[in-house]
Amino acid sequence: MGNWERMVWNQRHLLLDGLVVTVEICLIAFAAAIVGGLVLCLVRLYVRPLRPVAIALIEFFRATPIFVQLLWVNYVWPELFGWPDTFFTAGWVALALQSSGYLAETFRAGIEAVPRGQREAGLSAGMSHPLVFRRIVLPQVLLMVAPSLVNQFTVIVKSSTLVSVITVQDLMFQSQKIVHTWLDPIEILTATAAIYILVVFAVSALGKALADVLRRRYGLATS
Amino acid sequence: MSGALAEALNPALFWEYREILLKGLAFNFYVFACAAAAALALGLGAALLRVNRWRPVRWAGTLHVEIFRNAPDYVMVVWVHFVLPLLLGLAIGQRLEFPPFLSAVIALGLVYSGYFAETFRAGIQSIPFGQIEAGRACGMPERLILWRIILPQVVRRMLPEAVNQFVSLFKATTIVSLIAVPDLMYQVSMVTQQEMRPLPLYTGAALTYFAIIFLASSLVRAGAERWRQKVYA
Repeated sequence: MGNWERMVWNQRHLLLDGLVVTVEICLIAFAAAIVGGLVLCLVRLYVRPLRPVAIALIEFFRATPIFVQLLWVNYVWPELFGWPDTFFTAGWVALALQSSGYLAETFRAGIEAVPRGQREAGLSAGMSHPLVFRRIVLPQVLLMVAPSLVNQFTVIVKSSTLVSVITVQDLMFQSQKIVHTWLDPIEILTATAAIYILVVFAVSALGKALADVLRRRYGLATS
Repeated sequence: MSGALAEALNPALFWEYREILLKGLAFNFYVFACAAAAALALGLGAALLRVNRWRPVRWAGTLHVEIFRNAPDYVMVVWVHFVLPLLLGLAIGQRLEFPPFLSAVIALGLVYSGYFAETFRAGIQSIPFGQIEAGRACGMPERLILWRIILPQVVRRMLPEAVNQFVSLFKATTIVSLIAVPDLMYQVSMVTQQEMRPLPLYTGAALTYFAIIFLASSLVRAGAERWRQKVYA
């Protein structure tokens, strides 16, 4: 067990630093993906002239592997758009792109599931379109799609391991650095895999519990 | 920016290396086919464990599903490639090394077996118990009930979900380049190192994968739906 102590426990600061970066990049990517997905979905549903563009983007983001997108954003975007300027930014942008495609479709299904009569009732009570959307449609949609959001977040956490490839110093990066220093991968890689499995398990279990609590409190049947 | 855009969308370089890139793409399909077969077999096994009548056996199935469904693909690929041969080597007292292709198939097969197991289990549990009892009452052995009565219905019911998982599995085959399986992404990075022109190569790779996945998934989805409606009321 000397190896476990030397290579895992004694390196806990490195691993913790990595875990912090992983959490940061996942949260930023998730927030960006929700905003991006909502925008794509609203454009697709309500902005007639831009609809084909939104559909093309959604399909492109959904049907391209995350690893390919990551390298594409990292190598091609800086020359095309002069941005992103750091590897960290490229990492979360790629993660967010992929998820925003999926979330756009999730949001669309949610919006289309809100009965039309509710929107008409709001309009005939004198509420404006944006107000109806914000006060009546959106809260119900968010409750409806909460489990899918949780699921998408776990996908982001799993995909975030790939940002180590473009030298973002996340947990995977630190663990491979330790492997390269000690040339003995058994303990450290096993520990890393276990950490990731536990984190993803905890995120999905907690997220599901939270979604259920919210849905029960605000009156949507739990599934 | 317009110069960069023209460079990114210029297919000449991609075309120049078409042979080596196509060979790479073929590797994506090999890995996909082998890993899909492994994932289906292991997934069915794990699903059968999860519906077993003995509780410890069910726990073993649940453990399999929770470990592999929650493990990131890349972490599993790296673990199987660098740790598993060492552990097996220690067990048999010999130095072992996996070729990258084998590691890729084992790792992706294991990860996706977790997803397939859940799909199979949902399908199996949706079969009314009365059908199994009817089979028993006719004197069919359990194995025959599984093959003749349960599985044909399960396969049809799980098809839409399984198509999604095949799509994710194909996307996941792109990461095997990281353990030096010579797939399309691997060849793209090799050519990039020679030519120092990442724009057309990475854009070309992204568009190629997009075209394949988009076309294949739309076609398969349409085909599966038609087949389901024809065979299954």
